[in-house]
Amino acid sequence: MRIDQNSILTLQLPYRERLHLRRAVFDGGSGPRVAVVAGIHGDELEGLYVCHRIAGWLEQLRTVRPDGLRGCVELYPALNPLGIDTLQRFVPMFDEDLNRNFPGHAEGLLPQRIADAAMRALDGAALVIDIHASNIYLREIPQVRIAEEFAERLVPLARGMNLDVIWLHGALTVLEATIAHSLNARGVPCLVVEMGVGMRITPAFSEQLLVGILRVWQSLGVLAPDIDLPACTHTPLLADHTNVYYLNAETSGMFVPQVEHWISVRRGERLGTIVSPLEGAILSEVRSPVDGILFTLREYPIVYEGSLMARIMESRPGARRTA
Amino acid sequence: MNPPALLRMTAPLRENFDIPYHDLGPRTDTPRVACVAGIHGDEVNGTFVLSRLAAFLHGVAAGKHADHELRQRILIVPAVNVLGLNLRNRRWPFDGTDINRMFPGYDAGETTQRIAHAVLETTRPAAYRVDVHSSNLDFEELPQVRLYAPSDAERTTARTFGLPAVIERPMNKIFTTTIAAAWREAGGQNFIIQAGQAGVLQPWHCERLFRALVVFLTRIDVLHGPPLAVEDDEVHYFGVEQTVPLISSDAGFFVSRHPVGRWLQTGEVIGQVYDGFHGELRTEIHTPVAGMLSGIRRQPLLFEGDLVARVQSRHAVPSGIDTYLHGKGQ
Repeated sequence: MRIDQNSILTLQLPYRERLHLRRAVFDGGSGPRVAVVAGIHGDELEGLYVCHRIAGWLEQLRTVRPDGLRGCVELYPALNPLGIDTLQRFVPMFDEDLNRNFPGHAEGLLPQRIADAAMRALDGAALVIDIHASNIYLREIPQVRIAEEFAERLVPLARGMNLDVIWLHGALTVLEATIAHSLNARGVPCLVVEMGVGMRITPAFSEQLLVGILRVWQSLGVLAPDIDLPACTHTPLLADHTNVYYLNAETSGMFVPQVEHWISVRRGERLGTIVSPLEGAILSEVRSPVDGILFTLREYPIVYEGSLMARIMESRPGARRTA
Repeated sequence: MNPPALLRMTAPLRENFDIPYHDLGPRTDTPRVACVAGIHGDEVNGTFVLSRLAAFLHGVAAGKHADHELRQRILIVPAVNVLGLNLRNRRWPFDGTDINRMFPGYDAGETTQRIAHAVLETTRPAAYRVDVHSSNLDFEELPQVRLYAPSDAERTTARTFGLPAVIERPMNKIFTTTIAAAWREAGGQNFIIQAGQAGVLQPWHCERLFRALVVFLTRIDVLHGPPLAVEDDEVHYFGVEQTVPLISSDAGFFVSRHPVGRWLQTGEVIGQVYDGFHGELRTEIHTPVAGMLSGIRRQPLLFEGDLVARVQSRHAVPSGIDTYLHGKGQ
C-alpha cells in the first residue's frame, strides 16, 4: 500500500501565500478507486474527523495486512480549506457557497476552480461519499440524501452505509450545482451524508459511518473480502416528501427543546417551547403533528418566525428503528 | 400613515419588523409596475434611488409637480432585506442566507423563504417588474439593463430605460432561485438593472438610474409629463456573446484608473497587478478586444484567476467562461 499526500489545485493569494487543495491517497492496487469528500462548507467538521478515522484505519491496515487494500482510497477532507481555516461556511472573499458552483470551470473564480479540480480528480471513481454536517443550527441523525432521479443506483449502496435514514429528495433545480448532482449526472456515483451539527464533531456518528463506509468499500472490492469488519448496527428508515414533516417556528424567541434527538414521538406530544428572555410566559408550544421519529432537532436556540426547529419522519407500518 | 407592508414579522429581541413598500397611483387598478431593490442589504444605490423615485411620485400624486401625472399604479419596494441594509450585510444577517437564492419562496417555510414568497406575491400582478442591483463589494458596474434569455418584447422595452448598455447574459443554474427566474415564471416583462458597486453610494450612478426609471415609467405610460433631461447617450445593445470577461492569471494588488462606460481600443491597458510585498509590477492587463468597459474590479486584493473587468464588444466573441463569472453579482 502506497500512501501519498498531494495537491489537486494550487492558487496564488493576493499577498505571498498560496492555497493548496490537499488530498491523501492510499493506493493498494488495481481495484476500484473510491473517495471521501468533506469540508465543502467551512463550518462542517464531522467529515474531517471521519477522514482522520479512515486514514488511521488504513495506516493500521498497512501494518497488519499490507495487501488488504485492493483498490485506491482518496480522502479530500477540506475542499474549502480557506473556509475551514477561518471558520466560514462559504468560500472566504468570494462569499460563495462552494456547493452551488459545480461542476465549476478551470478558468473561473476560485470556487469554480475548486469545483473543477474536484470534478477532474473524482472522475471515474467507483464511489464518492460527500460528508456534510448540517449547519450550526440543526443536529441531524446520520443519513444519506439522494435525489430521486439517481435513487435506483444509489439506494442499494446507501442501505449498506450503517446509517439511520435514507432521504429521497424530489428534483430541485438548484441542486444541479452541487458536487453530488454533478458527479451523479456524469455517471460517478456520489452519496451525500448529513450528520451531526456544524462547528462540532460527534465521534459516535463518525464511528458509525466508518463501519458503513468500510463495509461498502469491501462490497465494491476496494478492500479484501476476508478482512473482518465490524457488523452494521443501524438499518436505515426511508424518508421522502410523503412522510417528512417540518416544524417551523410560529414566532421569534428562544427555542427550548424538551426531548432528545432521535426518539419516537406521538402526535400532539410537546417537543419544546419558544420563550422570550423578557418575560416568563411561553410564546409558543411546539408539538408533533404526527406519530414518528424526530430525526432533526434544533441545536441553536434563537429562532425567527419560520426558523426550522425539527423534522419528524412519520411512522409507517413495518418501519424499523435502529437495530 | 404607515406605509403598507408586504410582510410583518416578530424578532427574537428587537422590535418587530416589516418590509414596507410604496403603493402609488390608482389603488383600484392592478399594479402596472413593481420596482424592487435591496434584496442584498449592501447594495445601497438601488435603495436610495427607489426611495427618491417614491418621493418624486408621491409629489406627483400630491400635485406638487403640476406638469406630471401619475396615470397607473406602481409598487416600489426600496429594500427587501431590511435587517441586512441596517447592518450593512448582503445576506439575511441571522443565518447568512442570500434572499435572492430563495425564490419562489414558501409562506410556511424558513424566514427567508417567507420573505421571498411575500415579495413575489406582492409583485406578481404587475405587468412590468424591475429588480435593481449594485454588483458586489468588489466590482463596479456601469448602469445597465441585464437580460437573461429575454423575450423580444423585453429586448425592445429594455432600450426605453435609456441606460448606456443593455446586456444579455447567459442563464446560469444558480439563477433558477432568483427573483428574476420566479418573475419569468409569472410572465410579464422583467428587468434586472445593475448600477455601480455595493457598499457605497455613487451619486452619479444614482442620478442616471433615477432618470432611467422616470423615462421608463413615462414611456410605458405610467407617468405622463415632460421628459427629464436625458443625456445624449446612445443605448448600446450587447447580445449574449458580446461580453468578454478579463481574468487575471496573477495575484496581487490590482490598480486601475478607468471609469466604467469608457470605450477601449484593442490591446489597451485596463490595469496593473503589483506584487504586494516587493512592490514590483507583475503584469499589465490588456483588453483583447475593442469595446465598452461595462464593469471593473475596485477591490484591489486579487486572487489568481479573479475577474478584473468585462468589456462589451461590438462583435460576437464566444466565451464559455462567461456563464460562470457572475454568480455573486445578481
